Amino acid sequence: MENQVKKNHAIKKTVSVLTIGALAVGLAACGSSNDNNGGNSGGTNTAANTGSSTNAGGAATDSGKKVTITFQNIYPDATSPANKLLKELVAQYESEHPNIKIELDSLNTDQQKLKLKTQAGNKEIPDITIVNPAAQMKPYVDAKLLAPLNDMLDQNGLKDTFQKGLLDYYSFDGNTYALPDGNNIEVVYYNKDLFTQAGISDVPKTFDELIADVKALKAKGITPIAIGEKDTWTGSFLFMNILLRTNGGPGFLQDVLDGKKDFNDPAFTEAVDAFQELVQAGAFPEGATSIDANAGGNIFKTGKAAMFIIGSWETGNIDASSVAGKVGAFTFPTVNGKGDLNQFMLAPGSGFAISANSKHLQETKDFLNFFMTEFPKKKFELKDAVGVGQVVEGDFKAAGYSDLAINILDLFKNVSGGDLAFDNTMNPAVAQAHLSSIQNLFVQKVDSKQVAKEHQDAFAANK
Amino acid sequence: MSAIKKWIVYLLLAILVVTQLYPLLWLVLYSFKTNEEILGGSFFALPQNPRFANYTEAFEAGNYLRYLANSVIVTVVTMVCVIVLASMVAYAISRFRWKLAPVALIIFMLGLMIPMQATLLPLMTIFKGIPFLKNTLGMLILPYIAFQTPVAVFILSGFMKGIPHEIEESAFMDGASVYRIFRSIILPISVPPIMTVCILTFINIWNEYILAATFISKESLKTLPFGVNSFVSQYAVNYGNIGAFLVMGAIPVILIYFILSERITKGMVAGAVKG
Amino acid sequence: MNVLKVPKLTIAVFVLPCLLLYVSMVFVPILFSVYNSTFQWDGLSSVKEFVGLENYKNILLNDPYFWPAVRRTLMYAVFSMVEIPVCLLFAILINRYVRKGNTLVSIYFMPVILSVVIIGQLWKTIYNPLDMGGMINGVLHFLGMDSSMKAWLSSPKFAMYCLYIVSLWQYFGYHLLIQFTGVQNIPADIYEAARIDGAEGFKADRYITLPLIVPVFKISIVLAFIGSLQAFDLIMVMTGGGPAHATDVISTLMYNNTFMSNKYGYGSALAIVLVIICLVFTVLINTIFKRVENKVS
Repeated sequence: MENQVKKNHAIKKTVSVLTIGALAVGLAACGSSNDNNGGNSGGTNTAANTGSSTNAGGAATDSGKKVTITFQNIYPDATSPANKLLKELVAQYESEHPNIKIELDSLNTDQQKLKLKTQAGNKEIPDITIVNPAAQMKPYVDAKLLAPLNDMLDQNGLKDTFQKGLLDYYSFDGNTYALPDGNNIEVVYYNKDLFTQAGISDVPKTFDELIADVKALKAKGITPIAIGEKDTWTGSFLFMNILLRTNGGPGFLQDVLDGKKDFNDPAFTEAVDAFQELVQAGAFPEGATSIDANAGGNIFKTGKAAMFIIGSWETGNIDASSVAGKVGAFTFPTVNGKGDLNQFMLAPGSGFAISANSKHLQETKDFLNFFMTEFPKKKFELKDAVGVGQVVEGDFKAAGYSDLAINILDLFKNVSGGDLAFDNTMNPAVAQAHLSSIQNLFVQKVDSKQVAKEHQDAFAANK
Repeated sequence: MSAIKKWIVYLLLAILVVTQLYPLLWLVLYSFKTNEEILGGSFFALPQNPRFANYTEAFEAGNYLRYLANSVIVTVVTMVCVIVLASMVAYAISRFRWKLAPVALIIFMLGLMIPMQATLLPLMTIFKGIPFLKNTLGMLILPYIAFQTPVAVFILSGFMKGIPHEIEESAFMDGASVYRIFRSIILPISVPPIMTVCILTFINIWNEYILAATFISKESLKTLPFGVNSFVSQYAVNYGNIGAFLVMGAIPVILIYFILSERITKGMVAGAVKG
Repeated sequence: MNVLKVPKLTIAVFVLPCLLLYVSMVFVPILFSVYNSTFQWDGLSSVKEFVGLENYKNILLNDPYFWPAVRRTLMYAVFSMVEIPVCLLFAILINRYVRKGNTLVSIYFMPVILSVVIIGQLWKTIYNPLDMGGMINGVLHFLGMDSSMKAWLSSPKFAMYCLYIVSLWQYFGYHLLIQFTGVQNIPADIYEAARIDGAEGFKADRYITLPLIVPVFKISIVLAFIGSLQAFDLIMVMTGGGPAHATDVISTLMYNNTFMSNKYGYGSALAIVLVIICLVFTVLINTIFKRVENKVS
């Protein structure tokens, strides 16, 4: 095996040297400077040997000199609070450390994922990047691309600012590799006015009540549950909440991974059946599979849908929309009498990670330490602190947070456990199969045994 | 009879004008709408209170001027290189007598068939070996030229095949070199197809985002599509700003397009034959 | 056909600069893909397992989504090629009846200029369900045909056809531009000579325009074919390949395998299969056109 790897490496290197040769000639022929040829092949060898080098700016390693830290992130929208926070903290740090320059590479989520994968394939990830928790970041950890942050967490008491147990989702073999930008739970937001219109007096506590409410809303011409299922994670997130109930508690997927259960388990088929019951009752907007997640949420936020089952990160957006003030939140009901109302689908946020090959590892760690220490305070200031993964000091009510925000924060207090999303638990190939299998349920009725089989097959094929 | 035929044709053309031009109008309306109007709105709806803030936000938050400058540099350099390089190759493939001409054409055609996404990782590996390209627009321009030449070579060689041989032969008799024939006869009569190629190249590059997002990390080097996509964040999309940004991004394209397309006019070849 | 006999050096001067750049930026990456396609690799770990041609075998024999994607991809290609004669017809009509033909062609070209983000949004408002303001459903409702209303893009049966239509609409101007350039490029004195011989109007088209336009017609056919095999952005924006793979084509399948499922080797193999399909059909199209060219000239 090891031999094989080495051989591949050698071939790869040869191919890359050949390429560079061809390219150098090409450039020379184009009339570009060809005096770089020598330096060129030298550069190739170093890069191939050390497998490192990401950062530019021509900065040197010692801390007195000018250092550029590339900070790849997913907060591109300059009109959003997340971007404001980013820019303000960076500006503050740069003014306190004149020798440090933070280069922000802000991309939208999909593009960042694609870019990071491409960079990772070349072992060239930026100084700071963003990864998703648990199973989604594991390949990066296994490929030794991320630096352990244990030492940095101990500085300035940063570790203690995080909620208990949260860092576990970002830790492997005792090392923590990323620091989360949030920690959310899945809740059911509901529009009180629309509930009243449909004659619903209380929020549903059981799945049967939920179905009855869906039918009552539907009868009034109100879309019962908003969703944008073009982005397949939305439906999966909802489905997983049902599974969390039918399984009588968390850990179904973990049990599958550990070989204690498989997807043909009754808990799973029961969840599929319940989910289909929702679809058949007309719970979701027509054409849901071609609506993107954001447009789906907007159906709720414009007052056209009565419920929105999603992560608590939406609180701020809802408060900024036209239904602000009319919205409450409750926990997902029990299904067939199973499950615990205080267990939630957990959504630990995206995590900031540092490249193991960063040329300025220490400076980067120092900056991220500062960034994460200030993060909760800044979030609180920007009224964006619902779902922050760190302990926030301050009185939310006094600071003018909405009733909905307080409502959500109260739900947080009751959390007694839960599960992570499917793609945070299973490997990407199984997750993709799952996502499209669930999407299929939106457009046609499928025997739950068949759905279970699709899952089991994908799981077996991609172990 | 023929008058009726003429009017039927005009009617047909007019209908097409509506269907092909409406999107532009739609985009302009869109750019003045609020997010809620856009997502809930129907096909023909007008914005209730035109939201000019979309433009000011898009202009500032989207870093319009810097991105525009970068886009212009990248596009112009690429266009010029593509035209020069591809017309040379096209000329060689369509007019020179050499055995490998069809093979060369196939090799270039292969470039049309490659899904760009599949080249991201290898391209980055290649760039890793060229340190002086790092953090320059060259990381975009080089692959853009390479990816655009196949279409250009294909179209131009197709057109050049159709140029009457007498033109070159007489010039050859007069003792002109191949280079001179190429420069002062072939290029001038190929202006219409060259303009077409310019337009197609321009369009492809102006909106290109996948390569740009992957290879460019420095804010100061980013191009216009970054601006469009900057209004898409994880759990929210700023549609109105996107619309405004797209309008601002489309204006230069439309201007350049109309300027270029004016040069696609009849009779170039004929004129050259006579001259 | 090619007449100029020039020294090898001259050929090299004309071809090599472009070829070298092209080979290093486009061709070498394909070789990488060929190489990677023989591995089971997630795209980032240092462990790569050599599996020979197994990825190809799995694509052709075991992937339930591959052959339907091929069918949709080829349908896409057929639809877009059928459009070309229409474009040619319009190019001829515009050339004959419109004085400032350029401007009109430019107007028809506008949809190509717009970014696919906006095209997707626009057409969604056309295909949307009635309660989201969808135009088609609105018209059907107005006509009292409520039973025919549906969420077009979420229907596994119709979604793909909806996408074909958008492409046809968007690329009409693209091919019209190429055909128009071709029609414009036919020397005017040929028509003059024909007029003296009594051939005018459509008769002239039959004997002059059609034979002379064949090479340009071929350009459009090949570009339409290859272009539709690469169709990616529009599908991603409008349906993402869904619902449940109902609008997956080879390129979206490749993207999802490579970047979403982390099967880099498998995705590379799909990319190569796509290139091979393109190549085979391009050669086929070329052969057919050689025959046609010989016949008409």
